Amino acid sequence: MKHVVSVSLGTDQRDHQVTLSLLGQTVMVERRGVNGDLERAESLIRTLDGSVDAIGLGGIDRYLVMAGKRYEIADARRLALSAHRTPVVDGSGLKDTWERWIVEDLTQSQVISPSMSVLMVSAMDRFGMAEAFYQRGYPVVAGDLIFASRINYPIVTREELIELGRKLLPEMVKLPFWQLYPTGAQQLEAVPENHYEEYFDAADIIAGDFHFIKRYMPLRLDDKLILTNTTTDADRAMLRSRGVRDVVTTTPVIDGRSFGTNVVEALLAAISGLTQDHDGWTELVAKARHELFKLSAS
Amino acid sequence: MDLLATLETFAEQCNQNQRLRKMNRDWTRLVELWATDTDQRYWLKSEAGWITSGSGEAMDAELKISARHDILHDIFSGVITPTEPYNAGDLLVKGRQDDMMRLDIITLLIWGE
Repeated sequence: MKHVVSVSLGTDQRDHQVTLSLLGQTVMVERRGVNGDLERAESLIRTLDGSVDAIGLGGIDRYLVMAGKRYEIADARRLALSAHRTPVVDGSGLKDTWERWIVEDLTQSQVISPSMSVLMVSAMDRFGMAEAFYQRGYPVVAGDLIFASRINYPIVTREELIELGRKLLPEMVKLPFWQLYPTGAQQLEAVPENHYEEYFDAADIIAGDFHFIKRYMPLRLDDKLILTNTTTDADRAMLRSRGVRDVVTTTPVIDGRSFGTNVVEALLAAISGLTQDHDGWTELVAKARHELFKLSAS
Repeated sequence: MDLLATLETFAEQCNQNQRLRKMNRDWTRLVELWATDTDQRYWLKSEAGWITSGSGEAMDAELKISARHDILHDIFSGVITPTEPYNAGDLLVKGRQDDMMRLDIITLLIWGE
C-alpha cells in the first residue's frame, strides 16, 4: 500500500486519515497540521523523507504560476528541499489544470453562467481558475490586495492581475510566509474589523482559498455559490446556515472532507512517480480526476 | 545623499500615480523614519490618497521604521526593496504588519519590473 502524508501549516484540528483506491492502487492518505510552525513542518518532512511515497505541502504554496511565469515562495522551497528522497509537491500542478476544467465543466453544465459576477478572494495563487473565468467572459474581481494586504483595491482585469503579479510576486515570495497568508490558529479566526463585505455582497460566485473566504465573509451569504476546496462537513454546514445556495469543491469530497490540491497531487506522484514537470502529467490528472469524482459520488 | 529630498521625490511619485492614489484613498497614517546612524528623523504622511513628507520627530506615528541612513535612502529611491534589509534584520519596523506590507507594495508598484 502506498502512503501519502500532507504536512500542513494549518491547524492540527483538521487532521485526518483515509485509505482509498485510485488507478488500481491502494493509498493511505494522512494530513498532519503543525499549527503554523515552519520549524516543526521542516522536521516532520525530514522524518517522513524516505519512509512515505509522497509528501504534500499544505497551507502553503511552493509555486505561484501566472501567465507562463513561476514564482517560488522562499519558505516553501526550504520545506521542500528538506526532503531528499521522497517527492514533495504543493498542488500547483493541479491548480493550473484541474481548476481551469472546473470552471469549464460548471459553465457547460449551466451550474454557473457568465452573467454571474465572481469574487476571487485571491487569484495570484490560482491563476488557472481566474483565467478560466476571465476567458469565458465572467466579470471577476480579484481580491488579492484586499484580503492578503488589506488594500482596498479590486483588480478587475486579467491584464492588471498579470501586471500586478509581475511587479509584486518576485519580492513578495521572499517574505516570511506568515506575512502573506493565515497559518495555524489564524485560520480559525474571523477578522474583527471587516470592511470588505461589499465585495461579497456584489458577487454571485465566491471563489478561491477557503481560509480567506472564512476570515472575511459576512454573516449572510444568501444565494451565493462558493467554489473552493479544503472544506469540512462543519464548514459546509456553516456556509449553508449563512444562506449559501451551493458549495462546490474543486477537489472531491471523500470521507466528509474535500482534499487539498497538494494531497491529490501527492496521491498522483505516489501512484505514478510523475510530477507536473513530466510528460504525461496532464493526461494523468484528467484520468485521476474522473476516477476521484466517481469515488466521491459513491 | 539628502534623505529628505529622496522622500519628497518618493511622495511625488506616489502622488503622480493614479493607481496608488486610489489604493491609499482610505489609508491615513503617519510613518516615522529614523536613520539610526545619523540619529535624524523624518516622516511620511498619507491622507486621502496623498503622501507628504518632512523632517523631525513624528510623535504619534502609527508606523515606526528604523535603519541606517543609506538603507532608508536606497529603499525610498528604489535601489533596493524593503524585503532584503527586513529579512536581514537591518530594517526594523514597529507597527501593523499590514502597513509595512503596504509600504512594500507601494515601492514595488513604483519601481517593480
